[in-house]
Amino acid sequence: MNKGAEITPLTRLKRPFSLTTFSLAAFLALAIASWSFIIFLDNGDILVLFSTDTWVRVTDFIGKLAGEGTEGRIALFQLEEWARTGKLAYDTLAMSILAISFAGVGVLLTFLPAASNIAFGELAPSRSPVWRVLFFTIRGVYMFTRAIPDLIWAMLIIFFLSPGILAGALALGLHNYGILGKLSAEIVEDMDPRPARALRAAGAGNFQMLAYGIMPQVLPKFFTYLLYRWEVVIRTTVVVGFVGAGGLGREFRLALSWFHYDEVALLLVWYLLLVIAVDLLCAYLRRLAR
Amino acid sequence: MRRFFESKGFLSILLLAALAWSVSAVDWGRPLVHPGGVAPLLQFLAALLKLEVSPSFLKMALLASWQTTAYAVAGITLAIALGFPLGIIASGVLARSQWIRRPMILSTRFLLAIFRSVHELVWALLFVVAIGLSPMTAILALAIPYGGILGRIYAEIFNDVPAEPLRALRASGCSELKVFLYGRLPMALPDMLSYTFYRLECAIRAVIIMSFVGVGGLGYYILLSLNDLLYGQTWTLLLFLIVLILVVDMWSVTLRRRLVS
Repeated sequence: MNKGAEITPLTRLKRPFSLTTFSLAAFLALAIASWSFIIFLDNGDILVLFSTDTWVRVTDFIGKLAGEGTEGRIALFQLEEWARTGKLAYDTLAMSILAISFAGVGVLLTFLPAASNIAFGELAPSRSPVWRVLFFTIRGVYMFTRAIPDLIWAMLIIFFLSPGILAGALALGLHNYGILGKLSAEIVEDMDPRPARALRAAGAGNFQMLAYGIMPQVLPKFFTYLLYRWEVVIRTTVVVGFVGAGGLGREFRLALSWFHYDEVALLLVWYLLLVIAVDLLCAYLRRLAR
Repeated sequence: MRRFFESKGFLSILLLAALAWSVSAVDWGRPLVHPGGVAPLLQFLAALLKLEVSPSFLKMALLASWQTTAYAVAGITLAIALGFPLGIIASGVLARSQWIRRPMILSTRFLLAIFRSVHELVWALLFVVAIGLSPMTAILALAIPYGGILGRIYAEIFNDVPAEPLRALRASGCSELKVFLYGRLPMALPDMLSYTFYRLECAIRAVIIMSFVGVGGLGYYILLSLNDLLYGQTWTLLLFLIVLILVVDMWSVTLRRRLVS
């Protein structure tokens, strides 16, 4: 056994270990600093959790959700209330699909030059520097849209666009465009290059290579990610709704500020129904995409 | 016919139909950009050149970034404390008898599913009503859904470890607890760590969103600056936010690459 072969695995073992230990230590230090900051400087009273006052308020709140103190019949037992909020749930579902479509279409149009093996690797259509510029621009846009949370996008967009499900869908779409774009570009970078290489060797053009060598590998994974993001988006529609983007979220916020707790309960039920339905649908669609 | 419903063509038709339906659900009658919306948009974009950089404001932005980080880290620690034991129970690895195992797994999985189906901002709004505007609101609102996610993922990781070393431990007479401590846990640890760090990255974003209900942090100041029409301040805060997220993002990505390879 020669010496080089003995050292390499050892050094390989050692390097990851040190970053891991550093990260663990840093995380522990951060955790201690955070908790002491919150408790001593930021008036974060842990004892508030154990005070009887809090528990009285919690049980009181749960009672109100269940309809305690509401005059007349509570919203959960009124058919017209179900119909009215059902329209909002319908809007919310439409908003989530629209948002994920914006993100999906945007990504499909841009993700190829954002993959390094296509922009300047072995699958590059040409050696022109345009591809390199495109790569960095698109990756930059992905990073920017991804870094800004969806709620902040919604706050900014509501400023200029008329509030409604379109504005909400745009905000959600922008944030998810960045996430989905990065994931899709990484799929292309991690794919098996051999089919494309074989096609090129057999004299295929750029488009043929894309259609028969790259897309068949990339699209199923792309749809899996798209569906996964849809599951997340349906949960976040509520959030952009809070700032006025319509749907269940807006009504939820209004009902809370008017203290219509029975309506809050009904909206929560619709929300959970939507989330569960989308999860089940995604599980089915994922099987189709495979 | 059955074939058709399981084909990719059917999937494409479904997706196109969903797109068409969602476009039709939008109320296109109203003007897209609301009247008077263009002027603030231009002002907002112009403000990028007029960043607020006074030392006192930068100090405030820095403090807000730290506040956001602190809430996220505290929330994650609580989520780990919640998700780790629940994950062990939900994986069912400690029980040998099928009679205890099944109900134990199902009930904890159901509990974890409830925790994570509700978005953290919704939890935050509910907690504001219950305990008021304290940092604990943000921390708890983060810890519950994230505890639910971590618990489920931990359970899956515990179940996915290679079985041979465990069998060897059992053959040498270890109890299920010892098999867990000396077999499953050490093998599961890299994956658990990797996923937890990914969640830390998400937690920072979640806390920024949550400050919308009124608990401090970057998101709160962004909201204030937008309401006061001080776009220069908004941009400065947005840049702080992007840098904070990128730093955590890079840390977690490098660590995860190391752990997985």
